[in-house]
Amino acid sequence: MSVAAAEIRTAAPALSHRPWWRGKIVQTAGIVALMYLAYRAWSLEYPWPDRLTWNALPFRIDDFQIWLLDQENAEDPSFVFAVFDGFATFVDNLVGWFNRFLLWLTWAGTIAAGTSVALRFGGWRAAAWVGGAFASFALMGLWEESMQTLALMLAAVGLSLSVGIPLGIVAGLSNRFQQAITPILDAMQIVPAFAYLMPVVILFSVGPGAAVVSTMIYAIPPAVRITALGIRGVAANTVEAANSMGSTRRQVLTKVQLPLSRRMLLLGVNQTILFALSMVVIAGLIGGGGLGDVVTSGLYSNPSLAILAGVAIVVLAMALDRATEASADRTDPTRRHLTEAERGRLRMATAAFAAAVFAVVALAKVFGVAAIYPETATAQDWLLAKVQAALDYVTDPATFIFAITEPLGNFILVEIFQPLQQFLIEAPWFTTVLGLTAIALVVSGLRPALTTLAMLASIGVIGMWEPAMDTLSQVLVATVITVLVGVALGVWAAESKTVSRSLRPVNDVLQTLPQLIYIIPFIYLMPVSIVPGIVAGVLYAFPVVVRLVERGVRDVAPETVEAASAFGATRRQVLTKVKIPLAGDAIMLGVNQGIIMVLAVVVIGGLVGSGGLGYLVAQGLVRGEFGLGVVASLAILALGIALDRVTQATQGKRKEGIE
Amino acid sequence: MSKRGFVDKEEGWMSTRVRARFTLLLGASLVAVIGLVISGSALGSANQSCGTVTLNEQAWTGSTANTYVAKYVLEKELGCTVKITKITEIPVFQAMADGKVDAVLEDWNHVDQYKQFVTKQKSVVLVRSNGLVGHIGWFVPKYLLKQYPAFKTWRGLKGKESVFKSPESGSQGMFLGGDPSYVQKDKELIGLLGLDFKHVTVGAEPAEVARFTQQIKQQKPVIFYWWTPQYLNASLNLAEVKLPPRFKGCQDDASSGGTVKKYKCAYAADPLNKLLSKEFTQSGSPAVSVLRKFKWSNADQNLVAKWIAGDKVKPDKAAEKWVKANAAKVNAWLK
Repeated sequence: MSVAAAEIRTAAPALSHRPWWRGKIVQTAGIVALMYLAYRAWSLEYPWPDRLTWNALPFRIDDFQIWLLDQENAEDPSFVFAVFDGFATFVDNLVGWFNRFLLWLTWAGTIAAGTSVALRFGGWRAAAWVGGAFASFALMGLWEESMQTLALMLAAVGLSLSVGIPLGIVAGLSNRFQQAITPILDAMQIVPAFAYLMPVVILFSVGPGAAVVSTMIYAIPPAVRITALGIRGVAANTVEAANSMGSTRRQVLTKVQLPLSRRMLLLGVNQTILFALSMVVIAGLIGGGGLGDVVTSGLYSNPSLAILAGVAIVVLAMALDRATEASADRTDPTRRHLTEAERGRLRMATAAFAAAVFAVVALAKVFGVAAIYPETATAQDWLLAKVQAALDYVTDPATFIFAITEPLGNFILVEIFQPLQQFLIEAPWFTTVLGLTAIALVVSGLRPALTTLAMLASIGVIGMWEPAMDTLSQVLVATVITVLVGVALGVWAAESKTVSRSLRPVNDVLQTLPQLIYIIPFIYLMPVSIVPGIVAGVLYAFPVVVRLVERGVRDVAPETVEAASAFGATRRQVLTKVKIPLAGDAIMLGVNQGIIMVLAVVVIGGLVGSGGLGYLVAQGLVRGEFGLGVVASLAILALGIALDRVTQATQGKRKEGIE
Repeated sequence: MSKRGFVDKEEGWMSTRVRARFTLLLGASLVAVIGLVISGSALGSANQSCGTVTLNEQAWTGSTANTYVAKYVLEKELGCTVKITKITEIPVFQAMADGKVDAVLEDWNHVDQYKQFVTKQKSVVLVRSNGLVGHIGWFVPKYLLKQYPAFKTWRGLKGKESVFKSPESGSQGMFLGGDPSYVQKDKELIGLLGLDFKHVTVGAEPAEVARFTQQIKQQKPVIFYWWTPQYLNASLNLAEVKLPPRFKGCQDDASSGGTVKKYKCAYAADPLNKLLSKEFTQSGSPAVSVLRKFKWSNADQNLVAKWIAGDKVKPDKAAEKWVKANAAKVNAWLK
């Protein structure tokens, strides 16, 4: 998940005529062959033994929830609850205040204010994004909901950053803190939100406060990780120079490390925004309101409205992201050196913009402009009709599209997925555990192998072996497709600037558009249970793989490429014989990140029929089987850690190289 | 930021710049305070006799119909201000306990939550029956009965399961299971009845709809978990497969565990319930009595739901249309 972390770690690979991974591939293939033989010999004979299972665990967790409920609703609840309650009330008020302020400005005033701020601090491009975003909310007839979501997200992003950046600074300065916090951050990102919604509701009730808390759980980790990376990325000799000139620790941090890691901090803000916006729908389930609610109820009664609301979420994310990026760029102190006259001009500009906004709001009040953009002047009906027409076409089984997609879906299911699923579920449990541990040992080393062993064993102990193997087979299929697509596009992007540039918006869309919006229409195209879930995983994960591979291929030392060209290699030869083999590290990292990203959307798979752990987690929330949901989530976490260790070869190598 | 501050200090700019910023901040907060005051006073002017009532709407369209009809009546007849929240089924119990939601008009018998919140904590009041009768069953499209009239009952399915086979189910028939959040026991039933079906989970309700409508559009055989009241039933033309009769102690929710045998019967026809927050029932609001009496039929709800989801009428307008055409029913709630 830590994309940036990954990007940093892919420094130029070491030059050697035999890539390090070739031997490992042979060994891994050998282990898989042995596992297969064991499967043929003892299929179905050794499911995870009941003696080694802690069957009571879900009930213990249910008991805990009931205990918590009793405590919270007792006549005289402990002061601890008052603390949670106070925080929830504070956030409720904060969001409510933002929201009322946006409404008070009136829609015209809000557009004027947003655009002016973007223009003053970010320039024309940022202003066009913000103005365009607001205009689209108005035209889509989703003004009120968009403002609710905007208010919610301002609070969620602001609070996530105010917690995440300080923690990231500490993690950047202290190795011990970094090591202590990393597993917690992993858990926050991999454990599905469905598992912690209920405890959040017990502690923070429902409403914007609870919605912001659950969003923060998901959006804080990238802020921490990327800030820490930025601090660590500042060259050691620069810090030494500052130290030798007698700077205090605090001075080194505030005058050297923070300013120099500005770009990374910014990437952290960008990721925090995208992660937060990807939680809008889930936050809606516990009272977040706004666009998330439109998506959820739209999926049942008006799919094209759900799609419009999804588009609004994406537009909001991109506008926030582009505006913050542009503002940070323009105010970068290392790049601009303002003269006194320029400062005066800027102050004048600020005053002028403030006056303009004030004038617009005043005029709006005088002419009685409504708080919410009037329904009668939207293009919602027209847009809905267009979207519905497109949906009708796509979901029509009589078109040529279906004639291609249906057999393709069946092929993936019958020829690829089902044999793999059978292999993983029916093979003796001990050969699977030992085999995966051995692969981890070969690929990543002893310590990762031991972690893998522990994680796989605990999946069995908590009684999740079979659904976990089911999920694992889905994750593997999705990862293979992700890596194939990702490597192909990544190599292409490294060779072509146009492709590279067009990938960023694709990434933004796929990270923030609620998956159910495009997966449910997709079910019509490939009506087989597993495949839509796999597609959700692939679409969520492949942009990251593309970026990692692109970076890896680009970073191949130019001298090597020149040398190859000088010997008369064609462009194609340079690519296949030099660049791609040397980017092996980056590709391996892509596999690793791809798996983690695929796991992050397992629950979406559960909601569209994938079964396995995702189904159990979804059932945990919506059927009130809290314990079951938590246990299934723990299994997802354990599976995530195990798969990360199995595939983290490059990271281990890199760390050794750096330290 | 800090670096700029450092440079500023060197140039002796700090004081004026800070002052300029302070003025800006002061101006901004002044605007904000005015905003708060104005919006606050606007909120305060709600109708005194009824006040604000918060209804919770759930994701399915039937729930939208209930909620907006109740909203229309409360607003027009009692002058209440009605707020609608959309909190999902289980967390809404805690929301009612906290007094953040006043009423839920359709609850599908969440027995565990009744135990915790209604019986033990007494923070939620259960009002039996909103007039709707929820019934779950196995359904097939009617066109299939022309070719296989025996599919009217489960016995007729026996030996013919392969009619429903798909790439997913291999040689077995494919049975499309229900939303993980709904009460179900189909895996158990299939086993108890000795049918050669593979139970395939298709996920949330919209995903299930996508699966079987695609089969129906192609006039292919399909059998699936489904229920009434559901507005789609009017346009889908479905037939229910008769399952073994109910007996005493027969259960529907397989997740409650216990011996498998107690599931070997058709699903019950369960009256659906209303939930009111305890705090709300003690508030003295005239809305309490209206919501206690709120009652309508499956046909009523299906009609309004069809207007909303099928004909894309705005929920407020659909509610108005129904209330105006059904004055007698509405008056009974107001008595």
